Amino acid sequence: MHKKQSRDIFLFILGGVVLYFLSGMVDELRVYQGATIAVYVIAISSIILLTGYSGQVSLGHGALMAVGAYAAAVARVEFNVPIILCFVVAVLAAAIGGALLGAAAARLSGPYLAGTTLALAIGLPSLANQFSVLGGEQGLLFDVGFPPLSLGEDFTQYKWFFWIAGLAALLSMWAIKNILGSRYGRTWRAIRGNEVAAQLSGINIARSKILAFTVSAGIAGLAGALLSMTIGTVSPSAFPLALSFSLLTGAVLSGLTTLGGAMIGAVVLVAIPEIADVVAHRLGSSERVTTNLPGFLVSALLILTVLFVPNGPVEQHRARKAKHLAQKK
Amino acid sequence: MDLLNTFLIGITAGTIYGLMAISMVLVWRSTRVVNFAQAGMALLSTYFGYEAVSRLGTFWIALPVAMIGGALVAALVEMILIRLLVKHSTSGPIAGVAPIIATLGLLGVIRSVSAMIWGGQDLRINGPVSNDGFTINGTTLVFSPLKLLILVTVLVLMLILSIVFQKTNIGLALRASAHAPEIARLSGIKVDWVRTLGWALSGAAGAVAGMFQTVNGNGTLSPDSIEFSLLLVSGFIAAVIGGLDSLIGAVIGGLVLGLMISFVLMYVSSGLFFIAPFVILLTVLFIRPQGLFGAKAARRA
Repeated sequence: MHKKQSRDIFLFILGGVVLYFLSGMVDELRVYQGATIAVYVIAISSIILLTGYSGQVSLGHGALMAVGAYAAAVARVEFNVPIILCFVVAVLAAAIGGALLGAAAARLSGPYLAGTTLALAIGLPSLANQFSVLGGEQGLLFDVGFPPLSLGEDFTQYKWFFWIAGLAALLSMWAIKNILGSRYGRTWRAIRGNEVAAQLSGINIARSKILAFTVSAGIAGLAGALLSMTIGTVSPSAFPLALSFSLLTGAVLSGLTTLGGAMIGAVVLVAIPEIADVVAHRLGSSERVTTNLPGFLVSALLILTVLFVPNGPVEQHRARKAKHLAQKK
Repeated sequence: MDLLNTFLIGITAGTIYGLMAISMVLVWRSTRVVNFAQAGMALLSTYFGYEAVSRLGTFWIALPVAMIGGALVAALVEMILIRLLVKHSTSGPIAGVAPIIATLGLLGVIRSVSAMIWGGQDLRINGPVSNDGFTINGTTLVFSPLKLLILVTVLVLMLILSIVFQKTNIGLALRASAHAPEIARLSGIKVDWVRTLGWALSGAAGAVAGMFQTVNGNGTLSPDSIEFSLLLVSGFIAAVIGGLDSLIGAVIGGLVLGLMISFVLMYVSSGLFFIAPFVILLTVLFIRPQGLFGAKAARRA
């Protein structure tokens, strides 16, 4: 166990070093996309924790990201809180929102829960228009400031975003991995496997489910704040229903139970608009096809994954290998 | 006068939500899937209706065209997607969420394909009669001939559906396959086809809801219109309030939802348009997690 832990720490440090050198080698657009990928990795792993481990579905994580983003922006604009604390505020605010939602969610299951969170995803962003402190349709500015001068003259803004997002992604992956390996992670898996059996073994179902929702929401809030950092503003239109759907797609593509797969989902989500662009140009298609192709590809991919690789590519590969080994013996 | 107006607007919107909820309930009863793509299918059928209106000029031919189109789309979806889904994703952590995810994917596919074909701009569908309010004693109501027509048509459709369900052999087969598929199969009912039929009926009901939602709103149709987001959420919420399993429940759920939204918008704040349904849903689920007309879940442990 101890050996495995030190191996994990080594892997995380290695990941950090690789990202550091990579960010110096590629052009600005790729650095920006790298930052977006890091944000998606965080958001997708929050869904993996919730759906893959505790077995609850949420279509409202886009709304929870919005909660985090608005909290961070308000802390920044109204109270001039230091930037690192803004992210902490984002996590806390979204976690509180998640706890409230979780309290409702613990009574619901399957389609009921999915529908409730769906209603939230549609309803919550529009609520921002009700309060003047949230800036209405234009939203709020969220500026993390220029990179510190000690990093050098040619250290660009995007690279700074990438560093912040990348570091946050590494840290939160590490935290999630530990949570999932702990008693709580095992409790959640027990509930997902068989609720009645879990209850008989003395697990408090409702409390565990609420806890899962709270933790997942906190992580989503961090992702929301980071997303608005890369955009520069927080507004209702940055958190549409489509965002919640893409996150779910990313999580399904990653394999709902493989945390390490979050990378796959995130890269695919960022790559799809680019691929769609290339395809549309090749085909020389009209503007209405070009604008809708990414959405089409994401949704079609979602359906195909559910039908043919339901438990994700990593899990599929593992299962096939296990079967192969069994046959050999 | 405000009170009467608010009430009549709520009732009209409520019957449309009720119809949408019926189409969710029909799918739930036949395959135990909550179809999140229902509003997408209604959108597509409404586009069929738009094509018919713009070619033939009358709403009354367009409505059956939309219904047939909607029924065909729904039947195809059941035969291709849902049968594959039932066959493939039955194990592992995905099993519980696979139908939800697949129908959401379908919603995205339908929405983006419609936007590719018809573009993102507003298309106009004119209602069969005027949407200008009736005038009584010199004051003009918001309630119009169109709203009256919608109310009557939807009620007639609901009546026909309940007669089909209660009095015909097809209705009996539908109910039997929903309650006990194995026993129904043993008694010689082709359960697969009955399921397809359930989806087709649901598609037709959704098409009517889509057409009426469009003409009852501002008469325009676009893939991202507020009307269809509202239909997506309200149809589901009305079905859940009614208990997902009951047709009567769906109608009452729709009416409750329509009235409550209408009153909240009138007397509390018009900015609560999208958040009000969510609050109503949470309130109902807190009091009765299985919905107003749902059967209590069987004792488990």
